[in-house]
Amino acid sequence: MSNNKIILLLIFLFAFDIFLWWQVFNQPLKNRSEIYFLNVGQGDSELVTLDGNVKVLIDGGPNKSVVYELEKFLQPIDRYIDLVILSHPQTDHFTGLIDVLKRYQVGTFIFNGREADSAAFKELENVIKQKNIPVVILGEGDKIEHLNDKFIVFAPDKNSLESLSLNDACLVLQLETQKLKALFTGDTEEKTEKDLIAKYGNILQSDILKVSHHGSKYSSSDDFLKVVKPKISVIEVGKNSYGHPSNEALNRLANIGSQIFNTLQNGTLKVDLKDGKAYIFAKQ
Amino acid sequence: MQLYDIFFFSVLFFLIGILLASLNLNILLIIVASLLAGAIFLFLGFFKKDKKNFWLAGLLIFIILGSIYYFYDDQKFKNINLSFGQQEKFEGLVVRVEKGGGQKLTVELLNQKTLVLVQVRNYPEFHYGDLINFNGTIKALDDSSYSRYLAKERISGTVDFPTIELIKSNQGNFIKAKLLALKDKTIEVFHQTLPSEKSAFLSGLTLGEKEEFSKDFKEAMAKSGTSHLVALSGYNISIIVGVIFSLFLSTFRLGRKWAFWLSILIVNLFVLMTGAEASVVRAAIMGIIALLAKETGRIYSFRNAIIFAGFLMILVNPKILTFDIGFQLSFLAVIGLVYLSPIISKLFHLKKESLFDWQENFSTTLSAQLMVAPLLISSFSYFSPLSFLTNILILSVIPITMALGFILAAIGFVFMPLALIFAWFVNIFLSYEIFIIKFFSRFNFLSIASVSYLFITFYYLILITFMFSFNIINNKFKTPITEPEIKNL
Repeated sequence: MSNNKIILLLIFLFAFDIFLWWQVFNQPLKNRSEIYFLNVGQGDSELVTLDGNVKVLIDGGPNKSVVYELEKFLQPIDRYIDLVILSHPQTDHFTGLIDVLKRYQVGTFIFNGREADSAAFKELENVIKQKNIPVVILGEGDKIEHLNDKFIVFAPDKNSLESLSLNDACLVLQLETQKLKALFTGDTEEKTEKDLIAKYGNILQSDILKVSHHGSKYSSSDDFLKVVKPKISVIEVGKNSYGHPSNEALNRLANIGSQIFNTLQNGTLKVDLKDGKAYIFAKQ
Repeated sequence: MQLYDIFFFSVLFFLIGILLASLNLNILLIIVASLLAGAIFLFLGFFKKDKKNFWLAGLLIFIILGSIYYFYDDQKFKNINLSFGQQEKFEGLVVRVEKGGGQKLTVELLNQKTLVLVQVRNYPEFHYGDLINFNGTIKALDDSSYSRYLAKERISGTVDFPTIELIKSNQGNFIKAKLLALKDKTIEVFHQTLPSEKSAFLSGLTLGEKEEFSKDFKEAMAKSGTSHLVALSGYNISIIVGVIFSLFLSTFRLGRKWAFWLSILIVNLFVLMTGAEASVVRAAIMGIIALLAKETGRIYSFRNAIIFAGFLMILVNPKILTFDIGFQLSFLAVIGLVYLSPIISKLFHLKKESLFDWQENFSTTLSAQLMVAPLLISSFSYFSPLSFLTNILILSVIPITMALGFILAAIGFVFMPLALIFAWFVNIFLSYEIFIIKFFSRFNFLSIASVSYLFITFYYLILITFMFSFNIINNKFKTPITEPEIKNL
């Protein structure tokens, strides 16, 4: 071997060594959870990481930008996501998942069982089939448990799943972790909120709320917010022509004294959850 | 005149004819002027008994031929029978798909035998070889620079968001379809094993694919003077040829002849796979000529190889001479590498052997940069004064990165979990390269809005004079070079 090659090899081995040690020291901290509200423009996407580096992605936003956001928070050699959950098959919630499923190894794909006619949804189904990703359909009453953490599914029930509006068929999930609760509502509207109050009442109470439907005025009703009583409310929204987030919803959230954040102004928001306490950070 | 001189000058004059015609000069004017000049030279030849004048008079015919060829080609393109501005139904074959901001399909219309550019949404995805029916309005090209670009690509019109129906898949060329599928599969492995920026960069290095580049990263490359790395220049091709050739010789223990012909075949397939961009085609033609010269024991003349490669490409599409910036950059750079870098090596007393070949990388980068600088500034308004330093730091590890990239793809085809681990190694090199690119892109304090044609003309005049004077003084630099460095192709 020439001198050049030996030097190159030594430099490389040194770099690889540093790289490995860096991986060792950069392991995700144990016994804590994080929720990232990803800034993917006008659409929804939340990443939840749980004890043991378990990663759950709820919705994928309207385009590829979810991939770039994920990379900011996952380890560079981490190519695995345990669960990908789709709340309902509208493009601003699932289109980005096509790229996520193409690029990451995914443990299981979870959705409400409702399929859409759009070309993009067919592509999503193709990718799931091609990559042999297990699919699970969840609905009201189901649970996902991992160590001390669990997701409880509040909706949809059989009736709302077949509703004309896709928004009514949304998966509504409550995460219980680190003695805190977070509610993920997808795009549910007032009708579903009423049903939920009637069925579950105070069980809905959550510390953190993913505000429904990008802060639309037809969601986040007074009655619903009074039951949920979120201390932190996050609106996932981008530039849009629908008037999201609406003043009506913002006022109702302010009335119950919740702190309000939104991804359009704050960028991606990270919530650290540890032993009953939540810390929120803006990650531009 | 020697035969190789006759060849060189005939082609040169032919290209001048094409250049003049492409500048929108009247064809009759060119012919009459050439004939007049020819007559004068003939007259001078008889009068002064100087043979050179006869040669010049004869060569002027090639200007006429060149301009007529361009004119004929342009007329053929313009005389297409398309009903612009009317909603109509068309049937066509998808011959090219570009992604990023929806999909741009280049569609060959079956009845009209011409190309149109069809803009569609991201999904459903279309592929090479799809036979489609679409209902829309074809817009004619206008005077914008984008339209000129499309005309260069032989595209006659554009269609925005028509209703499309897929009739049949896999109707294209079988080999091309398979090659494109292989390319997609390779990029898929990169996507699955590496973060997006790194997989995009690796796709650029190995396959010239730039679809996935973010705007910021593209700009960082332009600002640091490293865009050429992902343009699949002769540099990348020569690395690939070198690896394949030695693989055939050593690992498969083939004879020289077999290794040679197989290498040429693979280079051709590679060019087809990567979409036959100007820089790749030029590199491939010159590389093949160099290999041929070596195998047949003929003298290899850079001058003739360069002009022959240009001639072939311009015959296929005369518009690239004036309107394809990639074509111009590629040829200027290679001229710089061949004629300028030996001068620079001499001036700086550079050695052939150095740590990671940094001295050689210095002279090649500097000479290529000097050659393309005005063109780069006028078309991208960036010029990186530190680019030679950036390139020295990066070029040493590019060959190994490319090799690791191809190995990664090969492992990924067979067993993905292993590819995921192997990707860690590749990751280190890519991290280093991307760090350097981003770091040096910050030092781009020169941002020049435009340069005048006068400046460009003067610049090249001075550069050419410099090259000639230096060569004559040193008397070391004759046209034929017998053992070309394959790297400089």
